[in-house]
Amino acid sequence: MKRSFPFFLALILIVGFGLGLAYSWLLAPVSYVDAPPSLLGADFKEQYRSVVAAAYAANQDLPRARARLDLLRDADSIKELSAQAQRMLAAGADFEKTRPLAQLAADLRQGYVSEPFTPSPFPTFAPNLSATITPTENSDPFFIEEEATATPFSAATMPFQQTPITPIVESTAATPTLRPTFTPTAGAGAPFVLVSQEAVCDEQPPTMRFTFLNAKKIQVAGVEIVATWNDGEDRFFSGFKPEMGNGYADFQMRANTIYNIRIVNGGTFVADLSAPECSAHGQSYLGSLSLVFQR
Amino acid sequence: MSSVSCSDIFTGGHYNFPMSSFQKVALLFALALGVGLGLTYGWVVSPIEYVDAPLSLLREDYRADYVLMIAEAYNADADSAVAARRIAQLGSQPPAEIAASALVYAQMNGFSSDEQALLQNLFSAMQRYAP
Repeated sequence: MKRSFPFFLALILIVGFGLGLAYSWLLAPVSYVDAPPSLLGADFKEQYRSVVAAAYAANQDLPRARARLDLLRDADSIKELSAQAQRMLAAGADFEKTRPLAQLAADLRQGYVSEPFTPSPFPTFAPNLSATITPTENSDPFFIEEEATATPFSAATMPFQQTPITPIVESTAATPTLRPTFTPTAGAGAPFVLVSQEAVCDEQPPTMRFTFLNAKKIQVAGVEIVATWNDGEDRFFSGFKPEMGNGYADFQMRANTIYNIRIVNGGTFVADLSAPECSAHGQSYLGSLSLVFQR
Repeated sequence: MSSVSCSDIFTGGHYNFPMSSFQKVALLFALALGVGLGLTYGWVVSPIEYVDAPLSLLREDYRADYVLMIAEAYNADADSAVAARRIAQLGSQPPAEIAASALVYAQMNGFSSDEQALLQNLFSAMQRYAP
């Protein structure tokens, strides 16, 4: 069989293409020295997420944390954060290391900062304070005229109500400037109280389902729960299933077992819990328990 | 017996006409063109993508932002050891040197004064840090 010259020309072209491709892919591939975060290896992506979460825990800048996570091009950033936190817990990592990840996942899901950053219970005024200090006759050198204005605090970050404790007096020259006092509210360390306990008959495997709320009925992530029974103990935290709610946690129950629950933060103790009896279609089965705690 | 020519490179009797100089040049040109196209495809159109790049290969702006994140966390926890360990992922240089590079990048690229202050704080901490 005879071949024409154009055939060999095409063959040589293809052979040359193959040689060039082999060289560029195998012998001297492009080496990325300017990689974007999306090309990081899985382990490095985990470190990247940890650092993003740590930075978020420090600055509470949710849009920025979201933008940083977007650089990783995860299909579902929230899911990846939660999964990473659970993997770390399963590997025995300290909860304090995993908490920023869970918190960031929870806040991304709900779309706002659940625990606004409050560096100090006392207001610290910004350096651009526009107060004008005017000496007066009998003046106290620290007297500040009323038109002094300070950088306002946003409502979202104000952890207390400012309430004057002395009556407002018309005269300003002779009276000291009013100082704010703080109306205490239930803080982060306040104990949780069991406010609701209900049997749930949904024909699902028996679970103890916890929901933790703060004083404003906002779900709270990161609450440590200890469940004990006659031959065992388990510890877990709220917020690791953000798809169920930031303050949600659950625990599989067994039949004929009595459980005692302790909320580590605040020491709340609930004793003698067991899977309730439910019935459907003439058959009985073990239901679940829904427990709601609130500060 | 037929005469032997350079066309015998195509053996097996499938090709039996003598090659002219033009044809030889054309074949060489085709080979060069093929190699060129292959290289272009392999390097530009569809280069091998390393999907497991380490943090040390991050582009400079991403590196600077990574260091800034570390600086933000350090500003809250003041844990030099953790910060140094995180920075160490970015390369084999001393942590202070990496922090200094990020600070220079921040100064050259319009990072806010707060961000520069955070990086400066981290840089100072890394200078003092002794593992």
